[in-house]
Amino acid sequence: MKRRGRGIACMWYPIGFTVDANPSAAVVKVNEDGTATVLTGTVETGQGSLTVLGQIAAEALGIAADDVHVVSADTDVTPMDTGAIASRTTYVTGNAIRLAAENAKAILFETAGPMLQVMPSQLEARDRKIQVKGFPQRSVSIGEVAKRAQVGLGRPPIGSASWNPPTVAMDPETGQGKPFSTYVYATQIAEVEVDDETGEVDVLRIVASHDCGTPINPMLVEGQVEGGISMGIGFALQEEMLFNAQGCQINPNLTNYIMPTSLDMPEIVVDIVENYDPTGPFGAKGVGEPSLVPTAAAILNAIHDAVGVRITSLPATSEKILTAIKAKRAGERKQVPA
Amino acid sequence: MTDVTITVNGSVRSASVPPETTLLKLLRDVFQLTGTKLGCDVGDCGACTVLVDGMAVNACLMLAAQADGRQVLTIEGLAMKDRLHPLQKVFEESGALQCGFCGPGMLLSAKALLDDNPDPSSHDIRDALAGNLCRCTGYSKIVEAVQDAARAMRDPRTEDTRQLEMHGHD
Repeated sequence: MKRRGRGIACMWYPIGFTVDANPSAAVVKVNEDGTATVLTGTVETGQGSLTVLGQIAAEALGIAADDVHVVSADTDVTPMDTGAIASRTTYVTGNAIRLAAENAKAILFETAGPMLQVMPSQLEARDRKIQVKGFPQRSVSIGEVAKRAQVGLGRPPIGSASWNPPTVAMDPETGQGKPFSTYVYATQIAEVEVDDETGEVDVLRIVASHDCGTPINPMLVEGQVEGGISMGIGFALQEEMLFNAQGCQINPNLTNYIMPTSLDMPEIVVDIVENYDPTGPFGAKGVGEPSLVPTAAAILNAIHDAVGVRITSLPATSEKILTAIKAKRAGERKQVPA
Repeated sequence: MTDVTITVNGSVRSASVPPETTLLKLLRDVFQLTGTKLGCDVGDCGACTVLVDGMAVNACLMLAAQADGRQVLTIEGLAMKDRLHPLQKVFEESGALQCGFCGPGMLLSAKALLDDNPDPSSHDIRDALAGNLCRCTGYSKIVEAVQDAARAMRDPRTEDTRQLEMHGHD
């Protein structure tokens, strides 16, 4: 019969390694039409990082995300970036872009100060304008300021910056230290149905609570978490590279290396736990890889809750689960006095 | 060589190809319609899905000659001249695709479903897309996007309302 169970798993995950140099550099250029151009060496792989990086530049400059054009991943022209790896892009590259935008903004403020007859420190950038703090009606458009900076002051509003999470060497004796700049946390709960006659598992629902600092783009955070969960489900129940004695993979294609399809995916509830990390750009940390870390553990705990067996090797195939159920039943029969 | 004449995205096109040429190879290499993706080439991943006489098929498993005289729709023919197909529009707005490699096949499988069933359940959608593998998204936003597109296509006014909701405060 089909038995239901629930399992829970928690995780933390490091963001921004510090044992080696881990820099990102960026250039932000404010144009005379009030738009901005960002140059970054990082690459978009579909996760939406360029959208998030554009949003960070826009937030720093007081313009709309649509006003920002991001040029990326052209080693001829874009500044160095350690890469779209280790869930570091929002955090490390984002910090570099925020700082570069702040540097460009400083030039805008120095230009706008005399235009508005205040000190640059009394200015803020909002709604595509440079305005006096507390007196938003005293303002001038960012495009106009950018043009004045270029042709009046001879200082085009261009900022460049790099950011490297402070490198801290490990203690050579103990191997201990501060290996990462910050950490993210998550809890996932899986609800499963296990057929105790076949060992087959159906994942019914996964609820995922993730702290990624400030979620700069919540829709993209959800996309990362949902995608991670599908990988976690494959890891838990389906995916396994099989090798023969000669070390050749015997399932090198999608006919027999089985990954989740749309029919294998349960209902997913993503719960973004808003947090603020003072070291991240506008409080953000990261979300990519962490999304799949707790999934398999939650599912295996749910299987235990449903049928009382602990599976300790992945994937938890029907064969393994049924064998464990049979062993458990045999053990229970032995304990009954004759 | 085999002579093949098919109507691709509304235009009649002909080619003379070796008989073992697949429809996928014809579309990509001869007609230069590279929106249709070559994934596994053995019918497992669905990245090469196109519509042949309205039915979703894996173009890697169909010979070009088998498509002779038939209507083929590829991703290049899904959008109207001046606007995206409602499926493309919703996919774009809702972040339904990430790397996008599965996108052309996913969209055409979804179109075949909606042409046949304008009001599919979540399970109908999952069933229709089960042959299109996606490694990025977990399918959640794809399934929701197909539901949203179906709603918009059933009642065009709904789409206008949604547009207002999404862009009214710009």
